[in-house]
Amino acid sequence: MVEYKGTREAFTQAITELAAENEQVVFVSADSLKAMRATSFAEKYPDRYIEVGIAEQNSVGVSAGLASAGLMPFIGTYAGFITMRACEQVRTFVAYPHLNVKLVGINGGIFSGEREGVTHQFFEDLAIMRAMPDVTILVPADAHQMYHAVKAAALIDGPVYIRAGSGREHLVYEADTPFEVGKIRVLKKYGNDVALFANGFILNRAVEAARILNESNIRVTLVDVPTLKPLDESGIQAILADCKAAVTVEDHNVIGGLGDVISMVSTKSYPVFMERVGLQDVFPSSGGPEEVLDRYGISIQDIVNAVKNVCKMKRGI
Amino acid sequence: MNVENDIKKLQTISDHIRLDIMKMVYEAKDGHPGPAFSIADLITTLYFKEMKIDPQNPRWEDRDRFILSKGHACPALYSALARKGYFSMDELHGLRKLGSMLQGHPDMNKTPGIDITSGSLGNGLSMAVGMAIAAKYRKKSYYTYVAMGDGEIQEGLVWEAAMCASKYKLNNLIAFVDHNGWQSGGSIHDVSGLLPVLPKWQAFNWDCQVIDGHDFEQIIQAIAQAKKSTDKPSMIILKTIKGKGLSFMENDNSWHKRVPTAEQMEQAITVLGGE
Repeated sequence: MVEYKGTREAFTQAITELAAENEQVVFVSADSLKAMRATSFAEKYPDRYIEVGIAEQNSVGVSAGLASAGLMPFIGTYAGFITMRACEQVRTFVAYPHLNVKLVGINGGIFSGEREGVTHQFFEDLAIMRAMPDVTILVPADAHQMYHAVKAAALIDGPVYIRAGSGREHLVYEADTPFEVGKIRVLKKYGNDVALFANGFILNRAVEAARILNESNIRVTLVDVPTLKPLDESGIQAILADCKAAVTVEDHNVIGGLGDVISMVSTKSYPVFMERVGLQDVFPSSGGPEEVLDRYGISIQDIVNAVKNVCKMKRGI
Repeated sequence: MNVENDIKKLQTISDHIRLDIMKMVYEAKDGHPGPAFSIADLITTLYFKEMKIDPQNPRWEDRDRFILSKGHACPALYSALARKGYFSMDELHGLRKLGSMLQGHPDMNKTPGIDITSGSLGNGLSMAVGMAIAAKYRKKSYYTYVAMGDGEIQEGLVWEAAMCASKYKLNNLIAFVDHNGWQSGGSIHDVSGLLPVLPKWQAFNWDCQVIDGHDFEQIIQAIAQAKKSTDKPSMIILKTIKGKGLSFMENDNSWHKRVPTAEQMEQAITVLGGE
């Protein structure tokens, strides 16, 4: 079985394999080689490691130029520096011209930024990327899924954003479970009292909450939503129709991420009672990775409580 | 063809391009004639003298590339592309109109011959650097040309890209600054702390030249000189006049974005010669 320390190592493994198969694959770094754990890639493929220095806007502009000349650049650096500092370059010069640039943002969520504090905790990236037309958005749940997501991204002709972590990620999936772009995945079906939608590196918390709820005779359908665009609307709609109540769990501001995605599908096609577990539109702070999640509204107990609440609403209590 | 004839020919083409610009802006009732006139002679020289291109095969991978980073000047580029045969001259009537291939700023997917989307200021050099690095990696001999305005090089990203180009010793990258001294809000001097321009590029370790941006012979010679660089990117600062070619437009910054009157159109036809 493949063992990775985290999503960054999984990224490097995947891109190194891709590079062996496809000479168009290059890695663009904004002094992020070490942060991406990609030093081995640079050693193996020195002419395919493009280092622009601490200059994220330039990393995106250079990548647009590389892609226009037939290459497949992967930019890897901090999620917020890609999606916020270089937001316009991503939007206007990658997304709009549909260039084949892959954007890999580490420190996605507060779990991953943890002790660095707000400057390095990125909980708006998915909202920003969702607002841009024509970008595929992948939110793998662990290192195994990251590996497969990077491989899957290379098969897509066009811009892809992949959210990565910082090495704290818990393994949820088996190594050989594929990453299916554009599909939700039912992880556990205890019952249809509530649909529990989650994604990213807190999926393990949703798994644990679902197990605890089952012991209290509240039976959820636990669903991973690893692709935010293109969205599996029909799949989500079917789950909503079955469960008639939903809770979303995400390591992101509750504005603009998974909660909004499920809410959008629900209001459009199958209105249900909903609660959103995530960062409650506040700035977090430094701390241990697990404790910042617990402190800022994404604890296992928060998930359990949210499910119990919507269950009551559904039953009209 | 001797040099003198060559230059006469370029002058005629650039007159036609300037008249096209006037007609396009007049018809669209919108656009940036002053900035387009300023860069028209460079675009003429690149497309009708310097660049290795094939209008029948706009995405030919060995072609030279051109990025109009000051994308608002695109009527000049659209005219050049149409006159090279990338698309019909009739398309020029569509500038800025719904459904037209000619967007308000250059779009690589809508307009044949546009090498990359551009127009929000300060972004072109980065993309040019990417194209030039790609050429080195893929062992291609094409050149990447990029034209920036002196206003737009106030953007920080330009200098990120400038650093990167010298780090990678991109002697296959030839950049121009259209140094007409004006930007949207007024004179470069009044609006920004940019001046002087030349020592900044020298400090970023570029090969630099300063020439008259309306003198075809100087442009041709400067490009030839730039191609001799072995380990540096090249900067050619073009001393230009905003609105060059029509006396009522020259150095009048109200023409940054302005639509000519019918009388001004007649004057333009008289001065620039018509077809």
